[in-house]
Amino acid sequence: MAATRAGPRAREIFTSLEYGPVPESHACALAWLDTQDRCLGHYVNGKWLKPEHRNSVPCQDPITGENLASCLQAQAEDVAAAVEAARMAFKGWSAHPGVVRAQHLTRLAEVIQKHQRLLWTLESLVTGRAVREVRDGDVQLAQQLLHYHAIQASTQEEALAGWEPMGVIGLILPPTFSFLEMMWRICPALAVGCTVVALVPPASPAPLLLAQLAGELGPFPGILNVLSGPASLVPILASQPGIRKVAFCGAPEEGRALRRSLAGECAELGLALGTESLLLLTDTADVDSAVEGVVDAAWSDRGPGGLRLLIQESVWDEAMRRLQERMGRLRSGRGLDGAVDMGARGAAACDLVQRFVREAQSQGAQAGDVPSERPFYPPTLVSNLPPASPCAQVEVPWPVVVASPFRTAKEALLVANGTPRGGSASVWSERLGQALELGYGLQVGTVWINAHGLRDPSVPTGGCKESGCSWHGGPDGLYEYLRPSGTPARLSCLSKNLNYDTFGLAVPSTLPAGPEIGPSPAPPYGLFVGGRFQAPGARSSRPIRDSSGNLHGYVAEGGAKDIRGAVEAAHQAFPGWAGQSPGARAALLWALAAALERRKSTLASRLERQGAELKAAEAEVELSARRLRAWGARVQAQGHTLQVAGLRGPVLRLREPLGVLAVVCPDEWPLLAFVSLLAPALAYGNTVVMVPSAACPLLALEVCQDMATVFPAGLANVVTGDRDHLTRCLALHQDVQAMWYFGSAQGSQFVEWASAGNLKPVWASRGCPRAWDQEAEGAGPELGLRVARTKALWLPMGD
Amino acid sequence: MSAHNRGTELDLSWISKIQVNHPAVLRRAEQIQARRTVKKEWQAAWLLKAVTFIDLTTLSGDDTSSNIQRLCYKAKYPIREDLLKALNMHDKGITTAAVCVYPARVCDAVKALKAAGCNIPVASVAAGFPAGQTHLKTRLEEIRLAVEDGATEIDVVINRSLVLTGQWEGSDFIKTSTGKETVNATFPVAIVMLRAIRDFFWKTGNKIGFKPAGGIRSAKDSLAWLSLVKEELGDEWLKPELFRIGASTLLSDIERQIYHHVTGRYAAYHDLPMS
Repeated sequence: MAATRAGPRAREIFTSLEYGPVPESHACALAWLDTQDRCLGHYVNGKWLKPEHRNSVPCQDPITGENLASCLQAQAEDVAAAVEAARMAFKGWSAHPGVVRAQHLTRLAEVIQKHQRLLWTLESLVTGRAVREVRDGDVQLAQQLLHYHAIQASTQEEALAGWEPMGVIGLILPPTFSFLEMMWRICPALAVGCTVVALVPPASPAPLLLAQLAGELGPFPGILNVLSGPASLVPILASQPGIRKVAFCGAPEEGRALRRSLAGECAELGLALGTESLLLLTDTADVDSAVEGVVDAAWSDRGPGGLRLLIQESVWDEAMRRLQERMGRLRSGRGLDGAVDMGARGAAACDLVQRFVREAQSQGAQAGDVPSERPFYPPTLVSNLPPASPCAQVEVPWPVVVASPFRTAKEALLVANGTPRGGSASVWSERLGQALELGYGLQVGTVWINAHGLRDPSVPTGGCKESGCSWHGGPDGLYEYLRPSGTPARLSCLSKNLNYDTFGLAVPSTLPAGPEIGPSPAPPYGLFVGGRFQAPGARSSRPIRDSSGNLHGYVAEGGAKDIRGAVEAAHQAFPGWAGQSPGARAALLWALAAALERRKSTLASRLERQGAELKAAEAEVELSARRLRAWGARVQAQGHTLQVAGLRGPVLRLREPLGVLAVVCPDEWPLLAFVSLLAPALAYGNTVVMVPSAACPLLALEVCQDMATVFPAGLANVVTGDRDHLTRCLALHQDVQAMWYFGSAQGSQFVEWASAGNLKPVWASRGCPRAWDQEAEGAGPELGLRVARTKALWLPMGD
Repeated sequence: MSAHNRGTELDLSWISKIQVNHPAVLRRAEQIQARRTVKKEWQAAWLLKAVTFIDLTTLSGDDTSSNIQRLCYKAKYPIREDLLKALNMHDKGITTAAVCVYPARVCDAVKALKAAGCNIPVASVAAGFPAGQTHLKTRLEEIRLAVEDGATEIDVVINRSLVLTGQWEGSDFIKTSTGKETVNATFPVAIVMLRAIRDFFWKTGNKIGFKPAGGIRSAKDSLAWLSLVKEELGDEWLKPELFRIGASTLLSDIERQIYHHVTGRYAAYHDLPMS
């Protein structure tokens, strides 16, 4: 009766107990490709777009090299068509109430659920990633993302009152990515009412499939458009006039180039750069679990990049032994095999890692043999890489782990923060105090305590420093695609003939303009740096005239060296100030408010000389004092705890100070604008270098007299002088963490261009005046959003 | 069991230094079940291997010589002969690793196995099973009697009050549980135990065996346990000297799966002999 189906191999397997292949059929993926006649175009406005006379790129199985389909490459006119479709769709989509968008997103989640096998086999087949990660991780998370954002959309009118959708979003994705990266960004964008044009690299069918599934849902065909095309299309998409924001994910250097090329353009730019992660293993850690953390971070198909691993010296040997042991048991293989840990990621990824490992070895590191077999690259552990070698500075590629030792927790923080990258990190320690100390001290966007790589739709994910400061997930992800209601549309301020090399380079010389006259006391003189008035390095001064053209006073002519000194002073003051409790910071702001009120008559008379009515001048002083108090109160209610499905324990959403913030104040409202910008910056723990109103810096200097007595030295530094020159010095400064510029269009363009140096977040007014006396513009939530950065701190619990 | 644990000086600092992060171990336990599966011939071969790890157990108050006899026969012939032939595995001498009974039934088991003409060891739970809360004197006597009756392996339940107060005992094998608790063999607990076995081996060179018991009922479960041991300790632990599965109903599910593998059909209840 027993008709034999078994092969002859059972005997051998019984002895060897080896693993066998667990192939996942990809027949449905091929069948779907067949519906497109194995030729994929673009999905625009609810229809497949397959224009003629386009280059095509083969979509290959990265393991067998088999040609699966050919993919048409978009050209500029296809980009324009897609942006136009998204622009038309935006009108309807954004006008609908949130609940309608919520329903649509929920329906998309249901469609994904119904066709998930197609999605995961197609994704795994084409990208080579382990199907288990795609099936159990990405596809499930994609549905959760849609559900979470549907809820956000349905409560948008109340929860996000005062904000409106930006418009059409241009989304640019890197060559090796999961379709999930697209989902993280389109979900919040669509939820708040934006529409999307996604530019995906050649031969990425999964995003096209998603667009088709969304498009076939019906009433809103143009909300998600997917184009596939080469990197050369990025600037073309970014500079389309209909695009309001460009969300870019990719390599840091590409992000930097895009930042420069988009300076002054209409679209805003959000950057999410790099893939490296960090793991801190202390001597109180559960080392075996930390080793699993390493596997999650770099040696599975979960994480996108490599890992920098810092191990406390006292557990170095133990940790390395366990890592080696664990590495030996990892399995590489075809992504569609259900029992492999790591698939293949194509030739480019292999070349990159091979180059990195060879270079690291030539610089003295140990890394074992460099394999030459393709297409799989084995998990690789690099140690003994000298800290000063070039390889120690660059990003670690997948699937490499670079291990280095540290002695104390303090040193670990120094080493960990000593890179320009600020993506994600995990801390492994069973000592609560130490874990929190490290978690708070790391300059990154996400910290997991005793875990690595957890993600959830309700938790914001992003970075700082050169990892770019755009966010996805949670409330922060929504604000990426929102702008304050009623503010004028952001227009291009591009001036083609702005010379970046010479803008603000030279300071026009200033000559004596006669003695100061007038009823008010002589204005304070000098640059307010490090808590006292100092003579400028240039030892010269510039005259300030009042509204009737008479000389009001002289202010010091600050220059590059004064900016350097001011930034240094701000940095020195930063750790102490950021370490203060919000309550303590509020108390000092309140003290400054009281001091301003005492100085009211002097301030009002100076404002009068600048042409204000006495009543209005007094109101400005009073409003300034109120702003200080309001921000002092507001900061005490910052941050909150998130609860994540499937995780026992909280996730803290921290709002941390940016660091040293440079602020170039507008000409108008010389007192109110200065204080309105100073107050939130200080309240959130930043220290500042400010360039006051060029027309009348004397008001700011009056405030400095009070700051000298109320504040610790270096908290707020005020440098007067030529606005363009000071702007240049600040914008090009690599150790200024963020910059706000309220001034000319040209200056804004320069600041945006120059920020590419350290990718500091910038906020430039582009020549648009702001109603500083209005609550929304002078003290609205936009300031609160821009003045601090988010960090998500995951705290899983268990005994 | 061949080599015994030669023992080592008790160094409690080993224990106090151990850190176990519970949520991280739970995550690992989830992953390990999802990351390793075996299919087709591999599954069949792994299942047959699992049979050789089973301590085929009956620990009921109403055990009598007749059901012990049936159990022993099943231990000797765990899988239907024609199914083994189809897999070309009939000459491998596949039996369960042992039969495991109460001390009072050791005699019956030894007799039954002798009658069946095989040398499968008889394991006996002893020493105040399942709580271990009896006097040391009676516990030792119980062991002595079981050995006299022919038991060659003893599943001792240690007096856990001693562990909780830091007075440890040594052994050749460690078990997850007695099988008589509300929570029995779970993956997270097993991960911690396996890591302890590996650390002990690294420190002393002694290989300690591992026996999950209780609640392992499906063939799929048994495969997960095999891959857990393979992943955490390596192939050298995958032999009956170092790995056992304490189970009573697992074997029939494995036999059903083998039946399906060989014939392509799902077996009816009466297609397979009971144990």
